[in-house]
Amino acid sequence: MGGNARCIAMLQAFKEVIKDYSTPPEKTLARDLTAKVNSYVSFLIQCRPLSISMGNAIRFLKAHIAKLPLTMRESEAKASLCSDIDRFIDEKIVLADKVIVRHAVTKIRDGDVLLTYGSSSVVEMILLHALEHEKKFRVVVVDSRPNLEGQTLVRRLMEKGLSCTYTHINAVSYIMHEVTKVFLGAASVLSNGTVYSRVGTACVAMVAHAFRVPVLICCEAYKFHERVQLDSICSNELGDPDAISKVPGRMDVSDSDYRANKENLQFLNLIYDATPSDYVSMIITDYGMIPTTSVPVIVREYGREHLLI
Amino acid sequence: MWYRSASFILDKQQEENDAEGKPESRLLSTASPSSSMADTLQNPNPQISAYYQTRAAHHGVVTTDWLAQAQAAVGRDPDDGVSEISIISTDSGKQLSVIDEFNNWRKQPDLAEAVAAIRALAWVIRSSEATTMMELEIELKKASDSLKSWDTTSISLTAGCDLFMRYVTRTSALEYEDFNSAKSRLLERAEKFGEISYKARKIIAMLSQDFIFDGCTILVHGFSRVVLEVLKTASQSRKLFRVLCTEGRPDRTGLRLSNELAKLDVPVKLLIDSAVAYSMDEVDMIFVGADGVVESGGIINMMGTYQIALVAKSMNKPVYVAAESYKFARLYPLDQKDMVPALRPIDFGVPIPSKVEVETSARDYTPPQYLTLLFTDLGVLTPSVVSDELIQLYL
Repeated sequence: MGGNARCIAMLQAFKEVIKDYSTPPEKTLARDLTAKVNSYVSFLIQCRPLSISMGNAIRFLKAHIAKLPLTMRESEAKASLCSDIDRFIDEKIVLADKVIVRHAVTKIRDGDVLLTYGSSSVVEMILLHALEHEKKFRVVVVDSRPNLEGQTLVRRLMEKGLSCTYTHINAVSYIMHEVTKVFLGAASVLSNGTVYSRVGTACVAMVAHAFRVPVLICCEAYKFHERVQLDSICSNELGDPDAISKVPGRMDVSDSDYRANKENLQFLNLIYDATPSDYVSMIITDYGMIPTTSVPVIVREYGREHLLI
Repeated sequence: MWYRSASFILDKQQEENDAEGKPESRLLSTASPSSSMADTLQNPNPQISAYYQTRAAHHGVVTTDWLAQAQAAVGRDPDDGVSEISIISTDSGKQLSVIDEFNNWRKQPDLAEAVAAIRALAWVIRSSEATTMMELEIELKKASDSLKSWDTTSISLTAGCDLFMRYVTRTSALEYEDFNSAKSRLLERAEKFGEISYKARKIIAMLSQDFIFDGCTILVHGFSRVVLEVLKTASQSRKLFRVLCTEGRPDRTGLRLSNELAKLDVPVKLLIDSAVAYSMDEVDMIFVGADGVVESGGIINMMGTYQIALVAKSMNKPVYVAAESYKFARLYPLDQKDMVPALRPIDFGVPIPSKVEVETSARDYTPPQYLTLLFTDLGVLTPSVVSDELIQLYL
């Protein structure tokens, strides 16, 4: 489940909430709805910690609820909020993806060997769009356990007739010498240019940098965050430890021997990691191709003009 | 940004040049070799980048006498020019006269191409017969496109035209009810932009004086008029420094530059291009100009700049770039081949067998990590500020 998909699903769910909502007597819509949204958000956090894109979307929603004039009728307010949510999804996600694809396709030349990691919705759109534009290239998809997300990407690319190579992350330094460009998606980009993305991305970016292969991050601007993170541990999400301990098809490894020695062994299944800005050549956003030093500029400019909100 | 800079009074020279018309350009075309090529709307030799042809033609005979002659020939009776322009009323006629206006400005070897284009576009606004803002914008866009297509390899020309369009139309004046006041506001901004671009060199020269200290050794690559202005101002302020010039094959830029510097009584030493690393120990700083400054903060400049920057970085010498702000382009090359190629034939002095390929590219891309500071008319900037300025303008 990628960042965009989770964000859109959450916003659609909030749209339903707003449609079904009715203001209790003696309460204002703005305050009561905000309180309800907060309670739903805590419920969502209990199920799974929020991604940064979801966090930004919730900030946007709460800001719009707070901006509602008190004199507005309930039905009008609800309709306005629903249309705001639709506009957010359209402008900041759907259209933004189209703009990113348009910019990124200009960087793909005939004869390129493109590498991507895991399954990013934007990168998939870029590759399919470049294929439609009759560019001659091939793709290397790098994948890793335990989620093996790259397999779905490879399946979809092959259906459209793209020639793919599929490899595991252990082999990335082996395959990197024939790669010309690396396209990666991101869960978020932080203010110091650090790219916060699926675990394993930092590894791929580092190897690409060592082989002097340009690394292009494709990320919509609504995912930018003013936080600064220096390493991957201080703020991350933990996945299911059993997913690492059990290897499907390898009964000898998956047996209960490891489980017996519980006090000395901990399974750490991190979901995200932080790629330092030195490994990134450029970030392609819906506001153009920018260097990593310009992320705080966009956060600042758009925060000021309330475009992110 | 630009609106923070002072708005200067227009030069008398600009007023003289305002009244240029077609007959004058034909008169001059018989006199100077550069305009015979410039009068055609297409690049006659597509193998060679038009941008470099122009520079070669301009600098073929660089003496102050020739410049004075050209300037004297340029001033003429204003009345003829105005009537000439009013006769041309068709669309294609307008486009033709944009190119002609552009060529008239370009005849001065001291004037940068982009500044000539900006002045020509300001002229389009001034002489436009449009009655609505939409019409005026469309006219401007057409003029800008025809200027850009005149030479597609020149980055500063494209960047200058794009920035002009953004600067001029980025005003709330466009929402005024009264078309004439909106148009005059646009014209005001256009002329201010032209004036700022024209004065940019002097501003850059003043800003860089602090970085040139007595007894320093400066390495210069390529013939940049901005860098020449910097060195001229430094020598006029009685600073003691010496300059190492690279030879700059195949354009022979080093020979031309050393010629100019010798006239200023600045001690000059010529190096062949391969002797840069050899001499880098005694160098204190490197000064280069730029054909274009790209969004990453890197520069596109004459072939050899990347090499020198690499050597400088490994020996911890600062690399300073002197570039006007209209050269900021929305390009982002990932590697050396990611740009529009600009080819220039190289004369080796002996015939080369046909089986042997020659690398004829005239320029290369220097990534931002090898540059220390950019001297622009917006101030002394680090390379990462280029994207900041472009984002603010294109927001």
